[in-house]
Amino acid sequence: MRVGLFVTCLVDLMRPSIGFAALRLLEAGGAEVCVPASQTCCGQPAYNSGDRADTIALARKVVEEFEGCDYLVAPSGSCSGMIRTHYAELFADDPAWSARVAALAAKTHELTDFLVNVLKLDRVPGRYQGTVTYHDACAGLREMGVKAQPRALLAKVAGLQLTEMADAEVCCGFGGTFAVKFGEISSRIADNKCQHIVTSGAGAVVLGDLGCMLNIEGRLRRRGDATRVLHVAEVLAGELP
Amino acid sequence: MQVASMHFRERAHDKLHDAQLQANLRMFKDKFVPLRRDSLAELDDFEATREAARAIRQRALDDLDVWLEIFDENARARGATVLYAQTPAEVNALVLEIARRHDVRKIIKSKSMVSEESGLDHAIEAAGLTVVETDLGEYILQINDYEPPSHIVGPALHKSRDEVAEIFHVRHGTAKKTGIDELVGEGREVLRDHYLRADMGISGGNFLVAETGSVVLVTNEGNATLATTLPQVHVAISGIEKIVPTLEDVATLMRLLPRSATGQSISNYVDILTGIKGPGEFHGAEHMYFIVVDSGRSAVLGSEVSAALRCIRCGACMNHCPVYQNIGGHAYGWVYPGPIGSILTPMYVGLENALDLPQASTMCNQCGVVCPVKIPLPDLQRKLREQEFERHLRPWYERMALKGWGWLARHPALYAFASGVGVRMLRALSGRNGMIRRLPFAGGWTDERDMPAPAGRTFRELYKARAAR
Amino acid sequence: MTIDDNRRSREALLARVRTALRRDGPDDAARAAGRAAAQAYLAAHRSGPRPALSGDIAGRFLRRATDMSSSVERIATFDEAPSAVLRYLKTVDALPAAGVCWPEFAAQGWAGAGLDVESRPTVGHDALGITGCFCAIAETGTLVLVSGAQTPTATFLLPETHVAIVRTDRIVPAMEDAFALLRAEGALPRGVSLVSGPSRTGDIEQTTVLGAHGPRRLHILLVGQ
Repeated sequence: MRVGLFVTCLVDLMRPSIGFAALRLLEAGGAEVCVPASQTCCGQPAYNSGDRADTIALARKVVEEFEGCDYLVAPSGSCSGMIRTHYAELFADDPAWSARVAALAAKTHELTDFLVNVLKLDRVPGRYQGTVTYHDACAGLREMGVKAQPRALLAKVAGLQLTEMADAEVCCGFGGTFAVKFGEISSRIADNKCQHIVTSGAGAVVLGDLGCMLNIEGRLRRRGDATRVLHVAEVLAGELP
Repeated sequence: MQVASMHFRERAHDKLHDAQLQANLRMFKDKFVPLRRDSLAELDDFEATREAARAIRQRALDDLDVWLEIFDENARARGATVLYAQTPAEVNALVLEIARRHDVRKIIKSKSMVSEESGLDHAIEAAGLTVVETDLGEYILQINDYEPPSHIVGPALHKSRDEVAEIFHVRHGTAKKTGIDELVGEGREVLRDHYLRADMGISGGNFLVAETGSVVLVTNEGNATLATTLPQVHVAISGIEKIVPTLEDVATLMRLLPRSATGQSISNYVDILTGIKGPGEFHGAEHMYFIVVDSGRSAVLGSEVSAALRCIRCGACMNHCPVYQNIGGHAYGWVYPGPIGSILTPMYVGLENALDLPQASTMCNQCGVVCPVKIPLPDLQRKLREQEFERHLRPWYERMALKGWGWLARHPALYAFASGVGVRMLRALSGRNGMIRRLPFAGGWTDERDMPAPAGRTFRELYKARAAR
Repeated sequence: MTIDDNRRSREALLARVRTALRRDGPDDAARAAGRAAAQAYLAAHRSGPRPALSGDIAGRFLRRATDMSSSVERIATFDEAPSAVLRYLKTVDALPAAGVCWPEFAAQGWAGAGLDVESRPTVGHDALGITGCFCAIAETGTLVLVSGAQTPTATFLLPETHVAIVRTDRIVPAMEDAFALLRAEGALPRGVSLVSGPSRTGDIEQTTVLGAHGPRRLHILLVGQ
């Protein structure tokens, strides 16, 4: 089984350790992982900003890079959701590309979903001493159905205790370019999220999307709060930064 | 109604720093979200009901010309006069003409968002007639110098009891009350007199039933029932899109509307009003008029955001929107706030007059998930973002940044080089805790948040190095 | 533009709708097909998904009506109504024992029980309104009241207390059944009001207060087994 790892641009640029953690988990599940070297961005920033031409160009590039793999897996609900649920609409008038996009969409997974439902991972390498709370990132939850999968995997991490925060499914306020265009509103929404995290009493918040991580960690630190912000792959793989 | 949507950002800023409003909004959010969830659990199959509701609304839109004709025939057959308004100005002109025809001096109104679009109350008053809003929330706003509604279901939910008490005290000249039930009692007393003396009642229309030529009105207060029963003239104003084919369709939609709106299994009063009163009837309108309104709806029908016309005005999208929950409805600057407003406002008043609205969303899709008629709100917001981009309505630097990123991302070698340089530069900006306090050109991010710094080397660099080992 | 000359507005509006639907060409086959499909849909009166109702429907009606802040008392026959009404009025703050009723209850023997009830429409100065109902809906605890010469509407709107006398055999499971019954028993009157509990508002701080405009309380007498 050849699994193409779509690292995502944010992980590539901001926190490469997440990419390596994903790699380790996929290999632990017995997958043969390939990492196409030319990969960059799924096109979501352009898509959500209304730049359709650039989105289509980047979508074609992703399809070309990954259609040879048996699966495409990304440590992000938002990027995998872009490919799985939004690419099709971009090529609605293009039958040839439509078919290729549909084929790729069908084998695209968010990381924890893939580990649970395809690789059926029964043990994870990570160990963690302490209590964590889980933030359900929007696209993972509402586009990819990621809810039980990360929790099932976290339950296998030795020493880890999961406590649920209030409003775990409510957006953290990131929203891509929204966070910069409407920084004040975005920060307020992020602050509500941080309050729920702090109130939960957990020592760390765990989540599956880097955009939310940057937003939540940035707001926590500005509040002077040291609660750790960890990607679920880092915790599962035992590769904490 | 005046359009103030171009001031979204400034207004949102004010609202975020309005302590009283923030307290009122917290109360509102904590109430409606769990109530909706619990009440929907009563349905055996919410998703199937929701799909049926979507299909009902879409069926009406797909053959809207036919359904309008059928509605028209059936309404006329029952003695109603069916009039058509193409613009907001025509709505006002028709209402005033009906008022003149029947020598009307005093008008009572139950809630109608369409009439907010055309500023009907102002037009009535300018013509020298009296108009009184009877929905308690709308009434509070009316006597507070026509403050705009901030929510389509609870127009005054941004107001606290103390604020309402002050308004009543000043406007009614009564002793200042403190309890909510006392305030409601005072409103009841004042409005009761208006009901009994009005010559004409104006209502909106939650649904127009094609099969029977009826209008369906949904309220908890019973104000629509009173306003359409006691006066001799009833005028129902409704958008063309509010048509539903049958009464069975109304039954299906009514399983979702109140639950989605306020978490009630059913609203207290659902009135199905058809034609004029029958022989021997003591109460009921002798004259019934429908004003069926376009005001931009046919343009939406032919557009790529036509699904927005399925809306049944439950308000669930705004109740669940993280943006609305934090700034309330006034920042959106027109009749319809929240996610549905971010589509309808630009479509009805012009995209160039509401540029921020389709952008002011995190696209979290909680609105899309709770919408009882499955309007894909973030997808529609994105369609309008595409129009803004295509029509060059976005700032040049945003366009350049997007185009630049798109170009770079298509050239992997350059991308690798540039990103390698970029992450090192950003790393150098960070303090000891790995946080960047201030980012040039991204103050929106760093004004109230740190930006976690990149690790300093990209995944592709590290992966290549590892492979070489 | 005047009321009498509104035809042009109508035609212009319909033309724009047809343009939007891309069926404005000379060939109106699509329109004819749409019309035929619409008529077929109307004739079918298809119901959407309905929740299954557990238990007997009278019990369900009773429970849901109570949920909606109505009070309910079961009585065996109509003859028991006057004493039941009086008992109810006494238990709730000693309410005035006077008001109006629908003509069908004119000869109910109110005076014998000490009630001053007149059979006439109200114009707003009566404390008590006694009505029957066309039918009642178990799913939501709803009364279906229809307007008519013998069923004046304001009787259940203007008085502070509304007493509704409901025959158990007129309880139907759902709104769809009420509509079917309306069709079966004649055309829709001017007003069909589906009333579920007393008038209420949540417009101030989302706090529910009963008696916003209409009745402050709704008492239902359920007659028969």
